[in-house]
Amino acid sequence: MGTFFHRHRGATPYLLLAPGVLWLAIFFLIPLGFLGYQSLQSGFFPNFEFTWQFSNFSDGIRDYHTQLVRSFVYAGIATVACLVLAYPLVYWIAFRAGPWRNLFLLFIVAPFFVTYLVRTLAWLNILADEGPVVGILKTLHILGPDGRLLATTFAVVSGITYNFFPFMALPIYVSLEQMDARLLEAAKDLYASPTQAFIRVTLPLSAPGIVAGTLLTFIPAAGDFINAALLGTPNQAMIGNVIQSKFLESLDYPSAAALSFLLMGLILVALLVYAKIVGSERLTG
Amino acid sequence: MTTLAASPPRRRRSVAARTWAFVKRHALTVYAVLVVGYLMLPIAVVILFSFNHPTGRFNYLWNEFTFENWLHWNDVLGIQDAIITSLEVGLLATLVATALGTLMAMAIVRHRFVGRGATNLLVFLPMSTPEIVLGASLLTLFLNTTAIFQLGFITIFIAHVMFIVSFVVVTVKARLIGFDRHLEEAAMDLGANEATTFRKVTLPLIAPAMVAAALLGFALSIDDFVITYFNAGGTQTFPIFVWGIARVAVPPQVNVIASAIFIVAIAIALTNVFWEYRSAKRTRGAT
Amino acid sequence: MNPRLTRNELLRRGAAGGALLAFPSLLAACGGGGGDSGSGGEVNDVLNFGNWPFYIDTPASLKAAGVTAPTTLAQFTTKTGIKVNYYEDINSNSEYFATVQGRLRNGDGIGRDIIVSTDNDRYLSEYLNNDWALKLDKDLIPNIANLIHAQASPPFDPNREYTLPWFSGMDGIAWNEKITGPVTTVTQLLTDPKLKGRVGVWNSMGDTLGLIMLENGDDPAKVTDESFDRAIAVVQKAQDAGQIRKFYGNDYAQPLAKGDLAASMAWSGDIFLLADPNVKWGIAKTGGILFTDNMLIPLGGSVPTASTFMNFVYDPTIAAQLALGAGYISSVAGVKEEAAKLNADAADNTLVFPTDEMLGQLHQNDPTMFSNPEYEKKWLAVQGK
Repeated sequence: MGTFFHRHRGATPYLLLAPGVLWLAIFFLIPLGFLGYQSLQSGFFPNFEFTWQFSNFSDGIRDYHTQLVRSFVYAGIATVACLVLAYPLVYWIAFRAGPWRNLFLLFIVAPFFVTYLVRTLAWLNILADEGPVVGILKTLHILGPDGRLLATTFAVVSGITYNFFPFMALPIYVSLEQMDARLLEAAKDLYASPTQAFIRVTLPLSAPGIVAGTLLTFIPAAGDFINAALLGTPNQAMIGNVIQSKFLESLDYPSAAALSFLLMGLILVALLVYAKIVGSERLTG
Repeated sequence: MTTLAASPPRRRRSVAARTWAFVKRHALTVYAVLVVGYLMLPIAVVILFSFNHPTGRFNYLWNEFTFENWLHWNDVLGIQDAIITSLEVGLLATLVATALGTLMAMAIVRHRFVGRGATNLLVFLPMSTPEIVLGASLLTLFLNTTAIFQLGFITIFIAHVMFIVSFVVVTVKARLIGFDRHLEEAAMDLGANEATTFRKVTLPLIAPAMVAAALLGFALSIDDFVITYFNAGGTQTFPIFVWGIARVAVPPQVNVIASAIFIVAIAIALTNVFWEYRSAKRTRGAT
Repeated sequence: MNPRLTRNELLRRGAAGGALLAFPSLLAACGGGGGDSGSGGEVNDVLNFGNWPFYIDTPASLKAAGVTAPTTLAQFTTKTGIKVNYYEDINSNSEYFATVQGRLRNGDGIGRDIIVSTDNDRYLSEYLNNDWALKLDKDLIPNIANLIHAQASPPFDPNREYTLPWFSGMDGIAWNEKITGPVTTVTQLLTDPKLKGRVGVWNSMGDTLGLIMLENGDDPAKVTDESFDRAIAVVQKAQDAGQIRKFYGNDYAQPLAKGDLAASMAWSGDIFLLADPNVKWGIAKTGGILFTDNMLIPLGGSVPTASTFMNFVYDPTIAAQLALGAGYISSVAGVKEEAAKLNADAADNTLVFPTDEMLGQLHQNDPTMFSNPEYEKKWLAVQGK
């Protein structure tokens, strides 16, 4: 053929890759290495020493397993909530929206354009104890007279759900949009009811999107600390809050590093289990 | 045996049945509208309160309408520097990340080489690492190399490129996979050399993906808090500024800036949509 | 140093300073009162001052206080020709420390001549113990003589060689009158079921545990393992009962005004600035804590320039204006009388000019409490961290 790419086949890919891979190697892999090194240190700020301190990890589990578990539970609930909320919306956009499709996609992405912190602070306003939402709920007796929405698990999980909603919605939309509508027609021709068509045609075909969405939602949610900090009490503290506190308040870098690795490790385990269930090609594409 | 009406006699469906059919047909639409309302509610609140003239320091009760906050948006100490820093870092990091990411995507999609799987993994990992770990580990690097890296604008820039690159690779890859190589071959057959082919055929066709990737990268950069928080030193980007001032009282000017970013982003997105609509119409008209 | 020389210099400069303040137009001509005989280094023409937000007088706050003079920073520039770059980027002792410690550890400056750190937190001691603060040039700070006796010899800096108080504040209890009657004791705050879930405490160990220790009958200035555990137990009980809504930094004021909180541990200055008629504040019956935010010169800062500024703000008239404009307590002697000259009514505000009786109720924290890792761990554990 004689194209540029074929002639220089050997070196080309590596040349193309070099700058990006170098950047990631220096600023992603090496820092992780440093983090690992730091997680085995001990001592008090600013005099840390490398002492193969594996107890940082066991201490981390012993002291903070509550927050670790809680983070995964919150992230899990939020992911499921995102899925349940997003799927019907995205289905409607893909199949029923017609000319309004792009507009509604914009609506999904729009919250993303308002700074994370600012939109979370807006929820502080909306869900305030003396605000309209709580007022209505109290009138409807859904909330008791002492009830509140803020500073509860509900508030924190809702915050996480709201903030990561686009990450779930968009991948599902992409896979639904790529679906060939004629497949549904074929199903109808074969006497499938709308429900059957959905369950046996649409749902499986949107599976890659669901997988991608769940990953893109769950992983960052597990490490989040802002929602818990702004909308929760100490009873809602997630592992992200602990890590932040250890880095910035206690100046206990070794423990913080160990906890970071524990978090990453647990996420990788969850990922592997998930990959086994759904098939690994779907993950890395 | 009747040969008249082939269809069974049509009875008028009951009101209940018709209502139920109506509800079923529109339930999804109503649901969609409700969910969109839920998504937009905080944004509406943010924009609304940017026009509020609060009685005291706190901007949570509606007091009276004013344009003052928009006119004097930089009255708050530090807010102007913060948003300018955010924009500068965003622009720079997006440019670099888009370039690096596109090159990587081209290599991954078009070549079979040793280490392709490992490269895929390397690209995937930052996206699957919680931001707090990314931020903290980068901080550890910078703290141990203070001779080279001083916490500040440079370190923020480095951090942003690092986490944006993966998203660029994934976005451009998706477009490249669907790319028809025959177009390039056809150009070659018509006498174009490699450089001209790349410039006139390849680049224009992957440009939309690059633009989409760049927009995504810029959005991620402008909004990033956690990674920047750990690596900014004393420099403030807009999200860091908001975190700091939220400890005391969020002035309406923060709402103003947030609303402005939102409006600009929506405008760009609408322009993009409109543009695609126009060029789609044109290609349809041309055929 | 020869004391007689110092006193002479003091008188000379005090007179010069007083005269200069009275005739602003002469200031530019005279080219400033002090600093040319400073030891070691020149006085720069720019001062970089990093501080907490809402911690200095502004044109608006001076107007509200009925003071017609220009702001402190403006007057300083007029008097000395030194321009001030004022940064309000300290929102938390711990977060600010985290952003600067890397550079300081490396021996580099942080672009500031003066920063402000609180005394009842571990970070002030960290700056000092790690040699990250520069010694003040007391030759340039004759007004240091105006430092009140109570602040002359703090445990973290017994000879006042590195720090000088900027403002002090009182730890007390605030409540929202629209929601609850007066909350006057810590016990009521932490156990009254009518306040359940709407109580705020600080995330700062010294402040919260200090008040509780006083309620327990222990001395917060001399903390023992037992007194610490007793205080922690009280917090834990309140936390388990769902009494405490959140452990706040400065951000309790808005929820309190909004009604999300019925009552909270609160700092006097925040309530003064809030100026909300429904929010009341008082020192708890068993006593309060006095905290002091201190100025210090970080590595890389200009000692002569910073010292000149510190001297300027230790003038009683300036100090009075600062106190009226910011709403916090000054450590300069004679400040109440000067304030009375500027605005007689404002000088009666006991939040800013506490009476001797109030001062008698205030205690200070034991600094060794903050560098004890066991204590830190227990304190973070009770906050879920």
